[in-house]
Amino acid sequence: MNGPKIIFTIPLFGGIKVTESIVNMWIIMVVMVIVSIWLTRGLKVRNPSKKQLFIEKLVTMLYDMVRDVMGERYMFFAPYIGTLFLLSILGSLSSLLTLRPYTADLSVILTWTVMTFLIIQINNIKNHGVLGWLKSFTEPVAFITPLNIISEIANPISMTFRHFGNIAAGLVITSLVYGGLASLSGALLSWVPNEFLSSIPILQIGLPAILSIYFDLFTSFLQAYIICMLTMVFVQGSGE
Amino acid sequence: MGEYLQFVSIDTWTMIFTLINFLVLFLLLKKFLFKPINNVLEKRADEIENTYKTVEKTKIEAEDLKTEYEERLKSAKEEADGIIKSAVINAQRRSDDIVNEASEKAQYIVEKSQKQIELDKKNAVNEAQSDIASLAVDIAEKIIGKKLDSKEDEQLVSDIIDRI
Repeated sequence: MNGPKIIFTIPLFGGIKVTESIVNMWIIMVVMVIVSIWLTRGLKVRNPSKKQLFIEKLVTMLYDMVRDVMGERYMFFAPYIGTLFLLSILGSLSSLLTLRPYTADLSVILTWTVMTFLIIQINNIKNHGVLGWLKSFTEPVAFITPLNIISEIANPISMTFRHFGNIAAGLVITSLVYGGLASLSGALLSWVPNEFLSSIPILQIGLPAILSIYFDLFTSFLQAYIICMLTMVFVQGSGE
Repeated sequence: MGEYLQFVSIDTWTMIFTLINFLVLFLLLKKFLFKPINNVLEKRADEIENTYKTVEKTKIEAEDLKTEYEERLKSAKEEADGIIKSAVINAQRRSDDIVNEASEKAQYIVEKSQKQIELDKKNAVNEAQSDIASLAVDIAEKIIGKKLDSKEDEQLVSDIIDRI
């Protein structure tokens, strides 16, 4: 199974490879910004339209979630979580539009979790000072310091592999199912004399959609939710 | 077929692009999605808060007005009561005066009438006396057959009548 396809290469710094992941992300971003502008056009304080009520409800849900998990003083964090959630879920769901989901690209997820990791450390330093931050690794006892450092670094790595693994596995299994169904229908139709007719993979119709409900819809939502939840919990915990 | 990256691979440029993409999208969504929605939500909350405040203020004002009117009504009622009471007293006094005056007048009229009656009676008696006297003189003349000296006779008759 291949990784993301390289769409084009920018001839700078010895060739910047722009992969499918990045191009798909751009597509999703453009769609998101256009939809955002459309949804927030003509907002009214009184008598809001159904469209406005819908987007207000979504944004309020996000704010409520951030407030519940992180508390009132982290409300400025809500747009970050919202962006992360939308990028994650729409990236995973883009497989429904036959795009290669960029959330099945290890580099993408790793970038997000490294960002989260840095935010956690910065928040820790902001709340406890540099010394307090360094000291937090030696707690509760000094000899546990290496373990603390490992667990701190393990956080983004486990988050990365959880998200990447789920979506990538869905991609692989879906491909395998499609391939398997194609050869199975080929075997079933081998008695048909017409070469074009016998090459139609009839078994691919319908059946993969059922798997798609789990691998695309359910997993996409779950992983987006998990990465946002963990980010919120870790950042909030680092400020305690 | 184009070139592919490894399925499990870490590509620096992909990471850099992802980071830039994330930051750009974060700023765009903040500007086009979160800020406008937040503004509207805050404005609505403000408006609701203001409405509540106005309602409370109006309520207090209304209650003040109510108390004021009630007080005014009460004082007006008291004033009216006072006016009625004094009017009643005045009327009472006036009616007493009228009745007193009337009874005085009546008394006076009655007394005057009695005096008049007395006087009339006296006059009538005097008249009757003189009539009777002259009548008696006439009768006596006729009886005696001679004319009496009018002055002396009349005097005599009067004395007789008085004695009667």
